[in-house]
Amino acid sequence: MDLSPFESDNSVSCRLASQVPDVCRTEDCCLGIDEAGRGPVLGPMVYGICFCPVSKKEELKGLKVADSKTLTEEERDNLFEKLDEAKSYVGWALHILSPNTISTSMLQRTKYNLNALSHDSAIGLVQYALDSGVQLKEVFVDTVGPAEKYEEKLSKLFPGIEVTVRPKADSLFPIVSAASICAKVARDRAVKGWNFAEDLGEVDADYGSGYPNDPKTKAWLLKYLDPVFGYPQFVRFSWSTAKTLMDSKGPTVHWDDDEEDGEKAAQRLNNKSMLSYFGASAGGNAENLTHQTHRFFTERRLRSLDSL
Amino acid sequence: MAAKKKRAPSAENDSWVVIAADSATDTQKHDSDPAFVRLRNPSTDAASLFMLGSGDVQLYEVKAFEEDFHSWFVGQTVQRDGRLLFVTAMDPLFLILPYLIKSGKEGKFQPVDQVVMDEEFPACSRLLSCTRSLASLHHIADEKEVGKLKFHRYSGEKTMSWLKKKVERTVAALKKRHISVGEGVKSSTYVRVKSESDHNEEDYLRYAHGLISEYISEDLSKALLKHLQLPELTSPKETEPPSKKRKLSDKPVEAGEDYTKFNSSDFIRKPPKKMTTAQKSLAKVDKTGMKPMSSFFSPKAKAGKQ
Repeated sequence: MDLSPFESDNSVSCRLASQVPDVCRTEDCCLGIDEAGRGPVLGPMVYGICFCPVSKKEELKGLKVADSKTLTEEERDNLFEKLDEAKSYVGWALHILSPNTISTSMLQRTKYNLNALSHDSAIGLVQYALDSGVQLKEVFVDTVGPAEKYEEKLSKLFPGIEVTVRPKADSLFPIVSAASICAKVARDRAVKGWNFAEDLGEVDADYGSGYPNDPKTKAWLLKYLDPVFGYPQFVRFSWSTAKTLMDSKGPTVHWDDDEEDGEKAAQRLNNKSMLSYFGASAGGNAENLTHQTHRFFTERRLRSLDSL
Repeated sequence: MAAKKKRAPSAENDSWVVIAADSATDTQKHDSDPAFVRLRNPSTDAASLFMLGSGDVQLYEVKAFEEDFHSWFVGQTVQRDGRLLFVTAMDPLFLILPYLIKSGKEGKFQPVDQVVMDEEFPACSRLLSCTRSLASLHHIADEKEVGKLKFHRYSGEKTMSWLKKKVERTVAALKKRHISVGEGVKSSTYVRVKSESDHNEEDYLRYAHGLISEYISEDLSKALLKHLQLPELTSPKETEPPSKKRKLSDKPVEAGEDYTKFNSSDFIRKPPKKMTTAQKSLAKVDKTGMKPMSSFFSPKAKAGKQ
């Protein structure tokens, strides 16, 4: 698997794909979708699809692809090799979501959550297969969120294709297992050979699994915390693990869409307290005396200073 | 200013981000450095920051662009203060004017260096070093020369025509830069398509008068308005409904407030406020079969039947 298109710029998302086997354009095909790296605070999330003719399902079983979680890294690598050798009838495609994409999506003004991001990646990959001429008849997906809703959403988007959404689909359907292997292998390689865009010198590559509860990952996060900038783009800023550490160790950064309510917000908006309307009228007169700056300056947020 | 949430007390800045004219920082011709000075603001009568260029030859006003949630990245450092200071040339006559008006009440011709004195702001005497100061005093004062000495006396008439010229020049500048001056325009970034024909001359005059008023006292501003033959606008304060308190009297009771005026088009509807999380969850509650709160306050008709 050649990850160089992603490694050349790992700040954005990237799609990698195998050649589409000729049989897939003529025969009815099934397609499996799975993801790798949903939970870690480090590295990308990878979405993978695998497709083959429905008639070749048994042959796929013969490759003994199984749920990627039950396999060692070496076994996964071997299985991916086997899938690659079967390229006469098996095709795959990957969508790598960089940690930076995940951070900026989840933390932007209109929040784009991880489930929506996942669904859209899956939809994008199915659409890619259709656009490449794969004769899709069946799609199998490991669920994200409630299975029924997801199944309904996908069925509506792809009429004429039988969509099956199941929890643990990766251990039920070989084509989903195959997709999960592709995704997992890509994720492992991306994390291992991560090119840090930041100038960090020799980076300690011992960051463990990347899951928030891994002590090695925690120690790494503590070590590479910059008080001002937070983390390199390798870290998902939207994860509470990263947020908590940045909040506690660095200076607070205020954004203008920070949620504020109650008295603080009222103060900021210069709202008057209800009580002020019941006070003696002397308060009102005092206000008249204060100088009102011309709107030329107030509109431009310009004001005089009395000291530096 | 608006209170900021949980921000640490702002530390003293040892650097600022400034935009200034080249002349402000030029120290070639004169040996002294440009300096920030505190002088009496003619409009507010309080201290404001100004800058005197090298050799005190030119006066500059200092304005700060300041908005919440801004910081600077300067080289390899972060500056939490997101202010942008503007140092722009200013006519020193505006700052000299209040001192002349004050001494003018005595009606005597006096040497200016005895007039422009302020215990609170001793730096004000340096204003007279500016190249433009002495040369342009005749715009606001009558002059008398005795031997080599010059004496001055404030002239209201001259000042008005000087200020009028300032307003006219400001109008020209406003037009040249397509600055929206209409009352309806609330945003400086909003530019009308049919800009020229839309604003009449009075809008421009009034806007320019408002700008010039930032540099003169309130009394002078009012006098200038008359001089420009612009009617005074009623301040929004006066259009507010009268106080509810009314003295008891024998006269028949009449409606004290006219609510119809709030139906006019300039009545601004407030945008709906954001709800708190608690309110949001309350709003989602299924209310079917629930009695409205008001039903509990209706007259007890049934109780009477019993």
